[in-house]
Amino acid sequence: MIQKKVCMLGGFAVGKTSLVARYVSSIFSEKYLSTVGVKVDKKPVSVDGRDVTLMIWDIYGQDDFQTVQHSQLRGMSGYLLVIDGTRRATLDTAMALQTLATEVVGDVPFVVLLNKSDLTSTWDIDDAGVFKMAERGWRVLRSSAKTGEGVEEAFEVLTRAMLVDAPAQR
Amino acid sequence: MGEPSVLRGDEGARQGDEDTTAATDLASLRTLLLGPEQQHLAALQTRLDDAKARAEDLGEVLPQALLRHAQDPHFTRALTPSIEKAITASVHRNPKPLADALFPVMGPAIRQAVSAGLAGMVESLNRTLEHSLSWRSIRWRLEAWRTGRSFGEILLVNTLVYRVEQVFLIDRRSGLLLQHVHAASVETQDADMVSGMLTAIRDFVQDSFRVREGDGLESLQVGELSVWIEPGPYAVVAAVIRGTAPREFRRTLQDTIEAVHLQFGEALESFNGDTAPFADARPALEGCLESQFRADERHPRTRGAWLVFAAITIALVVWAGLWYRDHRRWNHYLDVLRAQPGIVVVTTGRESGRHMVSGLRDPLAPDPQTLIAETELAPADVVGHWAPYQALDSALVLSRAIAVLRPPRGTTLTIENGVLVAAGTPPLAWVSEAAKTAPLISGVARLDVVRALEPAVRAAIGVIESRPVLFVRGSVEIADNSTSIASVLADVQQLNALAAASGRRFEVDIVGHTDAEGADDANVPLSLARARIVADAIRAESVPALTLAVRGVGSAEPADAGQSETSNQLNRRVDLRVRMDR
Repeated sequence: MIQKKVCMLGGFAVGKTSLVARYVSSIFSEKYLSTVGVKVDKKPVSVDGRDVTLMIWDIYGQDDFQTVQHSQLRGMSGYLLVIDGTRRATLDTAMALQTLATEVVGDVPFVVLLNKSDLTSTWDIDDAGVFKMAERGWRVLRSSAKTGEGVEEAFEVLTRAMLVDAPAQR
Repeated sequence: MGEPSVLRGDEGARQGDEDTTAATDLASLRTLLLGPEQQHLAALQTRLDDAKARAEDLGEVLPQALLRHAQDPHFTRALTPSIEKAITASVHRNPKPLADALFPVMGPAIRQAVSAGLAGMVESLNRTLEHSLSWRSIRWRLEAWRTGRSFGEILLVNTLVYRVEQVFLIDRRSGLLLQHVHAASVETQDADMVSGMLTAIRDFVQDSFRVREGDGLESLQVGELSVWIEPGPYAVVAAVIRGTAPREFRRTLQDTIEAVHLQFGEALESFNGDTAPFADARPALEGCLESQFRADERHPRTRGAWLVFAAITIALVVWAGLWYRDHRRWNHYLDVLRAQPGIVVVTTGRESGRHMVSGLRDPLAPDPQTLIAETELAPADVVGHWAPYQALDSALVLSRAIAVLRPPRGTTLTIENGVLVAAGTPPLAWVSEAAKTAPLISGVARLDVVRALEPAVRAAIGVIESRPVLFVRGSVEIADNSTSIASVLADVQQLNALAAASGRRFEVDIVGHTDAEGADDANVPLSLARARIVADAIRAESVPALTLAVRGVGSAEPADAGQSETSNQLNRRVDLRVRMDR
């Protein structure tokens, strides 16, 4: 059985927990998030005929990304970088978090989620921002925890990437 | 083929230098003729002399030989001593390799034996408790019933010193679960997530308190559960323990994590999400699933429980005995009441914790409350509700009659079919009064005094019949020595009163007589006249209970047969003869 640790990274209130909740049914209460700073969920997925169990670490988001504990990122095989499409500032946080993640675990696959895609009227990310990410070769998806758009897909894309890359961790 | 030529060569050398050329030629010839064979021989020789080559040869054929002769008992017999010695030597030198080799086999076998033994122990404990009435087992059963858990589970909780319920082997960096084992019949949450959260919590503690690298959360305590964590370089082992494990168990965990690192060092180091290789770590982890139960301390408590049980039993027996006694007494009381004339029991029951009886009671019947004394019941424990009535039981009727008529001393009353019968010697005055009153008493038809008055009647009759009235000769004049008419009248009055009192009638024959002197035709009228004189005197009185008959018989029935004047005087008389009617 293949298991992968996946982290949900992103600024405060970008919708990480809602995305996870959309994706799995949890046994742990969300209060762990604010106390321990992490909530772990589990999702078995099957990609290209391979069964993988994702252990999803939902990391309590703060805009001050430096409070993210390195220990929480250790050992992850990939991550979802969540950006609130209606708040430009969360893009900067995501950039910084990506840098941090690379420092801690090296180059592991990740998928950027432009979340809250259902709120297009208050959209705050311009094409330039998206372009900047695409330029770096990042996988960017639009998602909405509300409608479910892009959620399954994001995890699937990430899983596939992790199975392909499968870099040695140590 | 080669041997003769060699021999010949030796002989040739001994023959001297002349032969040298010949020998050389011969050698050349030999080489020419037997060159390949010679080379072959040399190679064989070398091979035989070279121990290494021989070992290689043997190594090649030995497995085949062993395989081919596996069924050959000689082979087995030949090999056994060496193998035995080899194993013994190996164990003497260093037991670890053999132990390691046997571990995967021995671990499960031992665990199976232990768990079977444990299951047997719990089962027997369970059975013992089931059949024993210990206070504790009753309490546990209550607890099991209350909490809806099985008795075995409650038993386990209460007798358990500690039990390692789950062991996690966790990748230290990612928190991914490498392997998880748990004791039989332990319910587990999703181990993968628990593993992740445990790691997160460990990280959280480590980050929050900024402890030195290498230090970390070693144990968590939640109620009766604790989690002991023992870290290794790449993996941590975490044990979930119910109860209080001894400190030595930490050593077990350390040994385990060391063993795991030894065995899976490479796999751990290069771990990339594939947990399959760590299935082999199960035996090592299962070795940590220890448990220990408390020694049975049932006996002293059982004694206490028995005492309590005995006390309860005695109390119950006493209570039942008292209840039965009370019940019997009560029934006896009711029987007494029912047997009592003048008391009719209608309902019984209980009223504010006391016995209650209600019914009818003749005022002349004994007080039901006084009857309690005969039955040993406490009077205070009995309530009676009685409505008055007049009973027609003969006993009650008699009592009522006695109360009303008050028979004088010497007179007794009985009752037969509603007739009150007097006996003894009732005074006439009382009889006449009582005869009038008796029919007014309910249950009494009349008063019968015939028998009671019989002696008096006979006496009166005797007196009347024995006292004739005597007359002067040839006259209707009463003689001087005669019984006086007044006296006769008194006697007759007495008889009349007796007859009236007893409701009878008597016929009184008044018979006149003469002496034998004179003629019959004169004597008969004279005798009749004499009788009439007496009869008239009686008639002058009121004697309604008597019927008078008058006749004169002359001298036909003399009282004395003599001829003397004395005899004649006795014959001149009037007799009264009383005949009882009916």
